[in-house]
Amino acid sequence: MNAVWDWASGVVDWAVANWSHPGDDERGVWPRLVEHARLAYVSILIGLALALPLGLACVRWTRLYPPVLTGVNVLYAVPSIALFFLMLPYTGFSDWTAIVPLALYTLVILLPNVVDGLRQVPEHVRQAAVAMGFGPLRRLITVETPVALPVIIAGLRVASVATISMVSVASLVGLGGLGQLILSEGFRRQFDAPIVVGIVLTVLLAFATDALLVLAQRLLTPWARSGGRRGRRHRAAVPAGEATDADAGTDPTQTADSGNGARPWTS
Amino acid sequence: MITFEGAAKHYPDGTVAVAGLDLTVESGRTTVFVGPSGSGKTTSLRMVNRMVEPTSGKVLVDGQDVRSQNPAQLRRSIGYVIQQAGLFPHRTVRDNIATVPLLLGWGRGRARARAAELMDLVGLEPSQAKRYPHQLSGGQQQRVGVARALAADPPVLLMDEPFSAVDPVVRTGLQDELLRLQAELHKTVVLVTHDIDEAIRIGDRIAVFRPGGELAQYDTPERLLTHPVDDFVESFIGYDRGVRRLAFFPANGLSLREDVVLDDQDTVERALNTVDTAGEPWALVVDQLRRPLGWVAADRLRREPSGVELGRLDLTAYGHTFDVERDSLRAALDAAVLSPAGRAVGVDADGRVLGVVSQADLGGAIWSVSG
Amino acid sequence: MDVLNELVAWFADPGQWSGPGGIPARTAEHVQYSLLGLLVAALIAIPVGLVTGHTGVGGFTTASLANFARALPTIGVLFLIVLAAGIGLVPVVIALVALAVPPILVNTHEGVRQVDPALKDAALGMGMRGPQVLLRLELPVAVPLVINGLRTAAVQVVATATIAAYVGVGGLGRYIVDGQARQDLTMMLGGSVLVVLLAVVTTLLFAGLSRLLVAPGLRSLAASAR
Repeated sequence: MNAVWDWASGVVDWAVANWSHPGDDERGVWPRLVEHARLAYVSILIGLALALPLGLACVRWTRLYPPVLTGVNVLYAVPSIALFFLMLPYTGFSDWTAIVPLALYTLVILLPNVVDGLRQVPEHVRQAAVAMGFGPLRRLITVETPVALPVIIAGLRVASVATISMVSVASLVGLGGLGQLILSEGFRRQFDAPIVVGIVLTVLLAFATDALLVLAQRLLTPWARSGGRRGRRHRAAVPAGEATDADAGTDPTQTADSGNGARPWTS
Repeated sequence: MITFEGAAKHYPDGTVAVAGLDLTVESGRTTVFVGPSGSGKTTSLRMVNRMVEPTSGKVLVDGQDVRSQNPAQLRRSIGYVIQQAGLFPHRTVRDNIATVPLLLGWGRGRARARAAELMDLVGLEPSQAKRYPHQLSGGQQQRVGVARALAADPPVLLMDEPFSAVDPVVRTGLQDELLRLQAELHKTVVLVTHDIDEAIRIGDRIAVFRPGGELAQYDTPERLLTHPVDDFVESFIGYDRGVRRLAFFPANGLSLREDVVLDDQDTVERALNTVDTAGEPWALVVDQLRRPLGWVAADRLRREPSGVELGRLDLTAYGHTFDVERDSLRAALDAAVLSPAGRAVGVDADGRVLGVVSQADLGGAIWSVSG
Repeated sequence: MDVLNELVAWFADPGQWSGPGGIPARTAEHVQYSLLGLLVAALIAIPVGLVTGHTGVGGFTTASLANFARALPTIGVLFLIVLAAGIGLVPVVIALVALAVPPILVNTHEGVRQVDPALKDAALGMGMRGPQVLLRLELPVAVPLVINGLRTAAVQVVATATIAAYVGVGGLGRYIVDGQARQDLTMMLGGSVLVVLLAVVTTLLFAGLSRLLVAPGLRSLAASAR
C-alpha cells in the first residue's frame, strides 16, 4: 500500500508544483484546464444553437427527419481523430479545428432528443393550447419547450460529458486542453503524473458540468422533479422492478432517460 | 381440489396481504376470487403455484402441500394466465403456446402439433400461428395466453385478472369463450377479478375478499346476491343486486302473448280488430318466417286506411329480443325496458317470434320468483 | 481543391496498395486489433452483464461505471496503460478492452433489467428456472440493446486503435502519425479518410448483425413503436 500512496502523493505534488507559472500562460495545469473548458463549452453551445432550430424544422417538416437521422447516425460513427485531421486543410491550427467536429458531435447527440422532446407534447395538450387561441410561436415557448426541456437537458448531459472527454483527442492535432498535458508532458516524456492529472481533471470537469446541468434542470423544470420516468407502456401489476420497453435502445439515437439510473449506452 | 389452511402472508414491513385464509376450491369448477385492490385475492392465488410463499399456514393441491414439490415442476403442472397475457414478444404465437410442453421435454414437433390443437380450441386461426404477439389484438393475445396455459393439459388453471386489460365487448366475448371451454374441459379454475359482474357471470363459487386480506363470504353467485353476509359484501355487489339476481331465473316460465303477433300480409282492419279484442295498445308485425319486423301502435292503426297491408306501414323498431329457452328473466326485463313499446319480443333459437311479454306481465313473474 | 487532387493521387498510387505499409496490410492490422479488443471485451462484459442484470446485483456499480467511463479521455487511458505495461500489442489490446467493456456491460445489464416484470412473472409461473428465464426470455429480449452496446464499443475501438499508432503499433493510424512526422498532409488526410470508411463500415455491419440476430417479433415491435 505504501507504494501506492507514494505514487499518488507524487502525482499530487506534481500537479501542485506545475499548477501555473505566473507570466507564462503556455505552461502549467491551470491554463490547460481553462483551455479545455473553453473548447468544450464553445463546442457544446454551438451544437445546442444548431440543434434547436434543426430539431424544430424536423418536427415541423416530418419528412426531413429520417434522412437527417441517418446522416446523424453515420456522422456519429466517424472517429473524432479522423475529423480533426480532415479539418486541418480548412481551419489549420486554429481552435475551429477542434470546435467544428465537437460541435457536430453535440448536434448529433442532441438532435434526436430535441425532436423527441418536442414531439412528446401530448396531442390533447397541443389541441387545448390551440383551442385557447395560442399562436404557433407562443405555443412553442409556453407549451412545447417546457415539456421538451427535460429531454433536451438529458441529451445535453450526455453530449457535454462526451465532448469534454473528446477534447483531449484534439491534442493529437496540436490543439490544447488537458490532452496536451497527457500527450506532451506525460506520454512524450514517459511520465505518468501529467497523464493521471489530465485524466482526473477531465473526469472532474465532466462531472462538474453534468452536475451544473442537473441543477439547471431542477431550477427550470420544477414540475418534473419527482415524476421520474414517464411510463410509455402500461406497467404490469407485478411488485418490484420497473416495467420499461423491451425494445428501448434499438434506435441508436434513442432518447436519453432523464432519470438517474444507468441509461443504456447509445453510441 | 385446492385447500387453503390458514394460509397467511405478512410482509416484513407489517403489511398483511392475506390474513389467514381457510377455503376449499372444488375440482372441475370455476372459483372466482373477487374483491377491491389490497384485499389479498391475487396474493392468495399466487400461493397456489408458489409464486408467493405463505408466511404461515399452507396450501394443498389434491391433499399434497405445494411446498413439498419443486416450484418449477409444480408450476409446469398448473396453468397460469396473467393480465395482458404476458406473451413473449420474441416468440411466435405457436412457440408461445408450446412453451410449457417444450419445458417438459416434448419434442418440437409434438409441442407444435399441440399448439395447433390449442389454437383451434381457443378460436384462433391457423394462419396466426407464425405471427408475433404485437401483431395481435388484446383479445387475441389473451386467447393465446389461455392456450399457452392449457398447453400441457394441467388439471388446474390459475387466472389473474385475465380479462381486465381489454374493452368491455371483447371481455364479454372472452368470458363466453371461457364458459364454453370450461363446459368442455372441466378444469379446476381459480380466477381473480375486481369485477363483480365478471365473477357472477363465470363463477360457480365466489370468494369475496375484503381489504386487509380477509375472506368476507364464500358462496354460490345466487346465494351471494340473495344473502350477502354483511354491509361490505352488499355494497361491493352493488345496489342493483336484485335485478342481477334475475339472471339466475330462466325466461321460459314467462307467459307470452301470441294473439298480438300479426303477419305482414294482414290488413290494418284485421289488426285493429285484434288489438281491440285483446285490449292491447301495441301489435308486433312479423314476416312470413315469423321474424320480427316492428311494432305498430293501435292509435296509429286508426289513422291508416283499413285495407292496407301491415308490411307496407312504417313500423316502430322492435328493439332487442330475448331467447325464450336460453335467456334469463334479466334479459327479458332488459328487452322490455329498452323496447319503445314497453314490451319484450321472445324468440326461439332461430330468431322466430314465439310471443311478446309486457312489463306488467314481467313484473308479475319477477314478483313470483323473488319471494 | 488542391488537397482533394493530391488525396486522389495518394489513393491512386499503386504503391499504397501493396507491401507491409500498404493500405490492405494496415487495414488488416487495424481490423485485427479492433476485433481482438472487441471480442475479449464482449467475452467479459456480456456474461457479467447478463448475471448482474438477471440478479439485479451491482446495478449501482454498473451505473457509476457507465458515467465514469463516458467521461474518461481515451488517449489518457491508452497512454497510461502503455506507459505502465510497455509498448506492444498486448497493452494496446488491454486499453481497447478497457474502453470497450463499459458500453457492452451497461447495455447488457440494462437490456436484461428492462425486460417487463410481467414477462418474468409469466416465465416463472410456467415453471421456468432462473437460467431458463435468462436464456429463453431475458437474453433474446435484451439482444437489441446488447448489439447496440457492441456497436458503440466497436466504433470506440476502431477510433482508439487509430490513436494506438502513437504508441508504436500498426494500423491505419500509422498514416496519420507518420504523416505528421513527415509534415505530409496528404498522408494524414488519406489515413483519416480510411479510418472514417472503416468506422462507417463497422456501423453498417452492426446494423446488419442486428437484422440477423434480433427476433422478428422484437424488430417490428421496435419499428412500430417509433
